[in-house]
Amino acid sequence: MRDQLDLVPDAILAGRAADGDTAAFEALARRYGPHMRACARRLTGSHADADDVVQEALVQAWKQLDSLREPAAVKGWLLRLTGSRSIDCLRRRRNHATLSADDDGGQAVEPPAGEPGPESSAMATSGTEALKLALARLPEEQRRCWVLKEFNGQTYEQIAQTLNISPASVRGRLARARVALVRDMEGWR
Amino acid sequence: MSTSHDTLGCGHTLEELSLYLDTGDFPDPGHLDSCPECRNGLDSLRRLSTAGSELFSSDLADAGSGSDDWMKNILANLKLELRPGRTIPLRSEDPLDRLTETEGSVLALVRSVTDSTPGAVAGKVRLEGDVTVPGEAITVNLDLAVVFGHPLLGSATALRRDLGEALARHTELNIAAIDITITDVIDAPREES
Repeated sequence: MRDQLDLVPDAILAGRAADGDTAAFEALARRYGPHMRACARRLTGSHADADDVVQEALVQAWKQLDSLREPAAVKGWLLRLTGSRSIDCLRRRRNHATLSADDDGGQAVEPPAGEPGPESSAMATSGTEALKLALARLPEEQRRCWVLKEFNGQTYEQIAQTLNISPASVRGRLARARVALVRDMEGWR
Repeated sequence: MSTSHDTLGCGHTLEELSLYLDTGDFPDPGHLDSCPECRNGLDSLRRLSTAGSELFSSDLADAGSGSDDWMKNILANLKLELRPGRTIPLRSEDPLDRLTETEGSVLALVRSVTDSTPGAVAGKVRLEGDVTVPGEAITVNLDLAVVFGHPLLGSATALRRDLGEALARHTELNIAAIDITITDVIDAPREES
């Protein structure tokens, strides 16, 4: 039963999906797809790219499910796959932009999060809006760390793996990201 | 505002505060209670963290539901390949025929019989023993989620019987045992029957 599967714990779904049950896998995708999409949108800054990222992450998940040691941890694993595929997407986009600066580059230079520039910050009323603007102004590599931490709940070690940098660099970037965000949003002290 | 962007007047760094927020580790924990600079810093970081959670909630709401069309489109594009598993030989009247079934189809049968039992949902299924050799003793291991409130013992006995019958009807496996492990209780009272 489709709706019955929607009530079942992650570990059961992940175990079935690893056995080849596509309905269980789809139930997992429905359950965590919105979180994956939100993460991918914030990382790539593009709605279209985000949906491609979610699809790529799900394809990879299906292929590699039997390598998942702890089925109950499937949510974090799906989010890590989403983070990695988002970073790949950003790298591809950057290479593409470098190789052909003027060809089909519309979205290549779009600021991530698709937010307007600093001049509209006076319009920002809510904390959420202020944070969106501040995030859009953050250096790319700091924003990645911040989103992987705050949206995906990844550990420093997991972020380090995703970004292919050391945990110490993650710690530094995350701290700088937070300081810059706080300064931007309210002024530090 | 200090000129260096990561050292406070007290000598501690913002990186230390940021790390403290995530891990609770700080070189000098007592200091945090008495240092106004560090407390201000932590307050700001906590406000940021709250704003971060709010942004995430708002982004999550914007992302829509997993039952919406965008996810249906993605799922339709996935083209998940089947997992046949091992190949299980079947007897044949004609020695020249080579009939087989897949392990995946047997697992699907076990799931299907289990799911049709009221209050039960199958999890992972394992066939232990060499299914590629006819007549080998095979143990079925089934993880089971049970809906809260259903009589567990009764349904396990009935389920074992139903599984035994279905496997005898649809396969030629020599089933030595059917081991059922209740791994989860689903805490969601729901109409079913």
